[in-house]
Amino acid sequence: MIKDFEYFGPKTLNEALVLLDKYRDDYKIIAGGQSLIILLRQGLLQPENVIDIYGIKELDYIKSDGKKGLKIGALTTHREIEYSELMQGSFKVLSEMEHLLSTPQTRNRGTIGGNISHGDPAGDPAPVLMALGANVKLASITGERILNMEEFSVDYFETAMEHGEMLVEIELPAPPPHTGAAYTKFNIIASDMATVSVASCVTLAADDTCADVRIALGAAAPRPMRAKAAEAILKGKKITDALLKKAGQAASEEAEPVSDISASEEYRRELVKVLTARVTKEAMSRAKAG
Amino acid sequence: MSEKYSVIGKNVHRVDGTEKVTGTAKYTFDIVLPNMLYGKILRSPYASAKIVSIDTSKAEKMDGVYAVVTAKDTIHKKQGIWRRFPELCDEEILCSTRVRYIGDPVAAVAAIDEYTAEEALNMIDVEYEPLPAVYSQLDAIKEDAPQVHDGVELNINVTRHIEWGDVDEAFKQCDVIREDHFVCSSQAHMCMETHCAAASYSYDGKLTVWASTQASYYTQVLLAGMLGMREGDIRVIKPPVGGGFGGKFELDSAQFCAALLSKKICRPVRIVLSREEEFTATKRRTPIVYTSRIGAKKDGTILAKEIRGITDGGAYTGMGATALYLTGFFSSFPYKYPNYRYDGYRAYTNTEPTSAMRGFGAPQAVFVGEQQIDLIAKDLGIDPIEIRRKNGMVPNYEVPGQAFIQSCGLHQCLDKIDNYIKERGKLPADHGIGIAAYGFMSGGIFNWFDTPYAFSSAIVKLSIDGKVDLFTGACDIGQGSDTTLSMITAEELGVKLSDIRIHAADTAICPADLGAWGSRETLMNGNACKMAAADAKRQIIEFAAAKMGVNIVHDLDIRDGWIYLADRPERRVSYYDIVREAIRGRDGETIIGRGHYTPHRKGMISPAYSFGVQAVEVEVDPETGKMKLINVVTAHESGTVVNPIGITGQLEGAIMMAGGYALCEDQPMDQGKILNPSLADYKVIRSLDMPQTQIIEVDTYEPEGPFGAKEAGEGLTNPTAGAIANAVRNAVGVTVNTLPITPEKIFRAIQEKKAKEAQAKKAK
Amino acid sequence: MLKELKLTINGQPYELSIHPRTLLVEVLREQLGLTGTKRGCNEGACGACTVVMNGKSVKSCSVLALSANGAEITTVEGLAKGAELHPLQKAFLDYGAYQCGFCTAGMLMSCKGLLNMFPNPTPEQIRDGIDGNICRCTGYNSILRAVEAVSRGDYKETK
Repeated sequence: MIKDFEYFGPKTLNEALVLLDKYRDDYKIIAGGQSLIILLRQGLLQPENVIDIYGIKELDYIKSDGKKGLKIGALTTHREIEYSELMQGSFKVLSEMEHLLSTPQTRNRGTIGGNISHGDPAGDPAPVLMALGANVKLASITGERILNMEEFSVDYFETAMEHGEMLVEIELPAPPPHTGAAYTKFNIIASDMATVSVASCVTLAADDTCADVRIALGAAAPRPMRAKAAEAILKGKKITDALLKKAGQAASEEAEPVSDISASEEYRRELVKVLTARVTKEAMSRAKAG
Repeated sequence: MSEKYSVIGKNVHRVDGTEKVTGTAKYTFDIVLPNMLYGKILRSPYASAKIVSIDTSKAEKMDGVYAVVTAKDTIHKKQGIWRRFPELCDEEILCSTRVRYIGDPVAAVAAIDEYTAEEALNMIDVEYEPLPAVYSQLDAIKEDAPQVHDGVELNINVTRHIEWGDVDEAFKQCDVIREDHFVCSSQAHMCMETHCAAASYSYDGKLTVWASTQASYYTQVLLAGMLGMREGDIRVIKPPVGGGFGGKFELDSAQFCAALLSKKICRPVRIVLSREEEFTATKRRTPIVYTSRIGAKKDGTILAKEIRGITDGGAYTGMGATALYLTGFFSSFPYKYPNYRYDGYRAYTNTEPTSAMRGFGAPQAVFVGEQQIDLIAKDLGIDPIEIRRKNGMVPNYEVPGQAFIQSCGLHQCLDKIDNYIKERGKLPADHGIGIAAYGFMSGGIFNWFDTPYAFSSAIVKLSIDGKVDLFTGACDIGQGSDTTLSMITAEELGVKLSDIRIHAADTAICPADLGAWGSRETLMNGNACKMAAADAKRQIIEFAAAKMGVNIVHDLDIRDGWIYLADRPERRVSYYDIVREAIRGRDGETIIGRGHYTPHRKGMISPAYSFGVQAVEVEVDPETGKMKLINVVTAHESGTVVNPIGITGQLEGAIMMAGGYALCEDQPMDQGKILNPSLADYKVIRSLDMPQTQIIEVDTYEPEGPFGAKEAGEGLTNPTAGAIANAVRNAVGVTVNTLPITPEKIFRAIQEKKAKEAQAKKAK
Repeated sequence: MLKELKLTINGQPYELSIHPRTLLVEVLREQLGLTGTKRGCNEGACGACTVVMNGKSVKSCSVLALSANGAEITTVEGLAKGAELHPLQKAFLDYGAYQCGFCTAGMLMSCKGLLNMFPNPTPEQIRDGIDGNICRCTGYNSILRAVEAVSRGDYKETK
């Protein structure tokens, strides 16, 4: 049962920031509502004020940043990303990830900004954005600041956003040449949240060694995390199956998964091991082709 | 007139189709009555506790709250469907002194809206004294286990024994014997429409209940018993029902509390269970632990089977005694075991009661039996189809002392599946095909209610324009009985499907039928409808014969709305004209046909059985254990096919449900608390997870059934879990003998197998 | 405090006064008596409440009614044109793509949303398009067959 609240529907970013400042002690922002409304209905959240930002059209966009990077407005829906023609090259992984996210209705309504603001470590976008080296722009009445995904993802359902702040944009830097990215998610039912997920982004040097690699794990820790030990094994080397296996092992050791009704901790580690190797291999072959 | 049937076997729109696809069908969930209040139920947070006191005064004083009830508003009866066995009627519904599972009801309120009702629950003070509790059957049967119900030794409230031949002697003759253990899990019905009821008690003492039920007759009679009312003063109406699957033919808390609240204040009250209540406080599939032993000769002839099952009964009996029996009975299917012994024990635990769910103990039995047959076939080096051929039941087989099987198309089904597998040929890597065979009842005879035998009845009434009103107690819960029975009636009477209008399951208007369980509606109520139609037909033909002035040696028949001479069909008159003349201007006499059915001398289980063989192809990822269902091919026979689209729908739906049982549906508990009571966490198969399906109809004819028809819908849930388990073994060489077969279990089994192989290599 | 809500449902404009906590599905079912749309869960997981909002399928239990201010909503009651059933409804009848019918309204609206995006969807797109709708009765394949038939053009929509 939802406890009633005061409702505000700002139509511009400025209006919203004023409201966030005014009610900074007790508010909840609602965008697509696909996560928030469930929490309201189950009585897990009882805010006095709900600020509905879904009508702020100026935050719904996907555009090039002038180089080969992208800027995605926080209120861009999953569907818009899923079918955007701008998701080319190594950004194709974003479209693929959105296609795997939940169900069509959720993708129609839910936004990428709303999703990562929720801070669910099992969420699909966060590890992919992390692997792509994304930054997020937060705005408040006093100004803006930019964080990378690691700084943004603090803890279990907790982001670095302060009271009075909201996410306005996700920025994806231009990928270097010979970069490929891939995402994989393990679940039993296709539309389910990930039991474990891995995103990998590989940049190859001219001699085919790994110039750079970013591996991000989802549902394997209280927050989406970089598998830095795994990355260190691969960086600067020629990526072979044997090396991938070692990297997978490292990722499984640095992950911090839990045991719950979906899977045990040990099994999650096994999945991290296998999937890290697989998806990094895929990212590498995309880097070769690209 | 060259086709055998005019209506039966045709692709038709369901008779309730247009209202369902336009959203005009009004379910109990949708019912709003004038001056109606909304009810909610307060439930125990403890698995086992004494109720020390209940103080409802604050709730009663709340604005917008009009009634609060507890056990002191009842006549203090315990209920259950096994009315002929009072010791199995152990459920108060509204608990007076003890609560026995998390979710056991203790109070209910009726308020102006659901928000107010919910708040009122928070105002009720219940003082509990927690008691020790027990959560699994194996713990419950220990000497020192806490007692769930007083005076029930070892918490075992029901035992069942089935035996024929001499099992111990027979094992001595066997060349190969194997013993295996299996654990079958629970499952939630997960009907899309949760349990709900709207009750309206009038000032002159009559109660009307709209209920989402599979058995309006049971709801009527059980409510009468629990309210101390005359059965005839209770009218139960069954609107379209959003699924039942065995979960809605017992008296439930929504029905009882809504009626009790309404009775207190003479105002309509509607209670709709939340999805969480649906998962935690209704009933669920019976979980069973098995030890099974089978023995065979070198040539594959199975000589003996001995199986023991211990079920987790939960807090109350419900239909659990039947599930206990049926799992033992169907553990002997579909093979001709010369020697057989089953011992079943039902143990109370402090968990959500376990009862009936589609398959009723048979899916569990088949998961066990079909894996064992494959395993012993492997031990003997015999092909899995061959061993089933060798031992499979045949038409006119008698299960010694238990049942008589007339039609049986098992062997034809085996042939079809054999061909399919051969044609499929070599499988890709990590794929495996597994098969399972089954035979299932078509109309449970056992009636635990008031009489020892099940029955059905129906009435047809003809209107002046020839339209036929069919009155039956049969309950359509989505399985399509309204359509099937209308088709049978139309075929027998000789009219079109559009000439039939069915009125079903309104206890004030329709003759009693026991309801939609035990796969009985097509065969049992179908026979009743057929008889009623035949009765009406006889009356029309009598009139027509007189009108047509035909010689007595000529037979008349009716088909497609024409009454004609059987051997000279061109001599005919319109059925519609005859009916008009027969009814109009004749003292007001209507044409009414009456029908009924009860099986005679058919044993205590069922008058007929439907058989099938299912082949499931899976792909297993050996590195993660993830299993994908690729294709499910089912060869089955259900006698004459009445509604072909209906059967395909039942088969595909059964695969979704039985596949879910095998793969992903589970209700893990912690100290009696179900950990995933939401559709976000209770996993079911959706469209992206659903495999390709193919159905192969095998033609049979069941003499006991209307036009030779028998059940198709419940039996089809039997084979899938067993077939999947066998498929996994064939794909990656491991046996998983607990349900559900999760990727983690497969993964661990593969790791164990690798470790064993590595050890064996080392030893060499 | 009650707030004003203006929206169009099945072509009909409405003006209502509601509490902010009200969900779109509650406006439809309880305020306007459009009970075709159902509710099957409390966690936005089952899809039984699906409607089409501004052309896209959404779960009406997961939309605050006030968020739908100014929106155009189509429910199952708005599929047929007068007495003429929508091709999806005709196909559902022909292919037996329903049994208990409780998920059917939401299922049809997901299919409508799918057709809005892809007028001739492939089998794979159809399978994906209804993945947000749980059906406990049919096993989905009859629904796929029905929508494939519509996609093929077997049912001509009357103007």
